[in-house]
Amino acid sequence: MICRLTVNGTPWEGDVPPRLTLADLLRDHLQLTGTHLGCEQGVCGACTVLCDGEAVRSCLMLAVQADGRSLTTVEGLDADPDAAALRDALVAGRGLQCGFCTPGFLLSALALRRADPPVDPARVPELLAGNICRCTGYGPIVAAVRAWLG
Amino acid sequence: MKPAPVAYRRPESLDEALADLAELGDRARPLAGGQSLVPLLALRLAQPEVLVGLERVAELRGADLDGDRLEIRAMTREAELERSAALPPLLGAALGHVGHFQIRSRGTVGGSLAHMDPAAEWPALALLLDATLTVASARRGRRRLPAASFILGPLTTALEPDELLEAVTMARPDGRFGFAEVERRSGDFALVGAGCHRGRVVVFAAGPRPQRLPGVEAFLRDGGAPGPELQRRAHAEIEARDDLHASAAYRRQVGARLVDQVVAAAS
Ligand SMILES: Cc1cc2nc3c(=O)[nH]c(=O)nc-3n(C[C@H](O)[C@H](O)[C@H](O)COP(=O)(O)OP(=O)(O)OC[C@H]3O[C@@H](n4cnc5c(N)ncnc54)[C@H](O)[C@@H]3O)c2cc1C
Ligand code: FES
Ligand code: FES
Repeated sequence: MICRLTVNGTPWEGDVPPRLTLADLLRDHLQLTGTHLGCEQGVCGACTVLCDGEAVRSCLMLAVQADGRSLTTVEGLDADPDAAALRDALVAGRGLQCGFCTPGFLLSALALRRADPPVDPARVPELLAGNICRCTGYGPIVAAVRAWLG
Repeated sequence: MKPAPVAYRRPESLDEALADLAELGDRARPLAGGQSLVPLLALRLAQPEVLVGLERVAELRGADLDGDRLEIRAMTREAELERSAALPPLLGAALGHVGHFQIRSRGTVGGSLAHMDPAAEWPALALLLDATLTVASARRGRRRLPAASFILGPLTTALEPDELLEAVTMARPDGRFGFAEVERRSGDFALVGAGCHRGRVVVFAAGPRPQRLPGVEAFLRDGGAPGPELQRRAHAEIEARDDLHASAAYRRQVGARLVDQVVAAAS
């Protein structure tokens, strides 16, 4: 089935099988392997990307469902000053060790920062509960995101 | 795991979607937000030949939240509702418990009702608010069902394979209410939950489907108040099941406490 998307600002068009998930399209067809796959059932958050600005699980969306949408993956954040500030805060605060979860946290946090109405920074621990990290124990990530949200 | 090969149709109108389902019967499955169906496809617990994607069906989108009667059409995403200033506080309180915010960006009200997870908030809300569900098919037209007749059991509703849930309607919930649940982490499915509004009391995630507690409601009508007697009655009335997340005894005990809490909040 023909699928037309914009990925990190660049239009893409291709013929994809309907069973292909958005995560597999990004990783295997577009070589954007920064989108990580942990559980492939919506639980871990490693595969989070932005779809028309909202954070979604790319493992729970079929590529054909993303037809006509605009996607942002971690590779699309290089020139984003907000993302750069968050990356610096995570590094300074030791908010990552192996880094497997980090793309999902970055995109989830960016969606929270741009949410309208704005989110209350006090809700950060609850809102980040949809992203699993097996290394840091969460404290440093929560602290970095909370400080960055202001 | 990855989903098995499947065909995809993308109807542009409700009539077209219903015609697809009438033609394909149980070889097809409607796909809404995919937050329950895509994992089932990946685990190959569901293996339809054809997915009927509802994303282009304009008649299923949007919600009227301004009047005394609310109408929420099936493809309305939870994230859209959360952003709406007209959303009644009771619905807002319950929505915050539906998965994580990244799930709510895609998950729809209709998908949640049609999926009928016993621990899901929407079926419980529909029962609590005495909602009416509008269901449509190409052959038999429309029927309107009260929530109590739509909800049958775990992953089971009154929907036939050729039918779509079109919308859910209900009187605007106003005034005091209680809604509470116990979950392992924020965003997980509830181990047990309860709601109270206008004298109706519902427990969910305890048994096979959300359950009204008529005994507790009668006790309240007769002037009963929160406290040990109300908890005793709730405990006796709650239908609970064992599973790997919690025992039936735990669900009954915690459920009775939650009923007490939500009744207190609503009175
Ligand atoms: C990690 C995780 C945590 C979650 N936690 C919760 C939670 O705490 N509480 C909760 O309530 N839910 C939770 N969910 C489920 C989530 O709310 C789902 O979005 C919801 O159950 C299904 O909605 P959907 O739009 O994604 O439907 P889909 O997954 O697309 O469809 C679900 C089912 O409904 C059918 N269907 C969909 N739309 C229609 C229609 N209009 N007419 C007829 N049939 C239809 C489909 O054929 C399918 O059988 C969670 C999901 C995940 C992945
Ligand atoms: S891989 Fe998508 S949520 Fe875990
Ligand atoms: S840094 Fe290793 S999983 Fe989070």
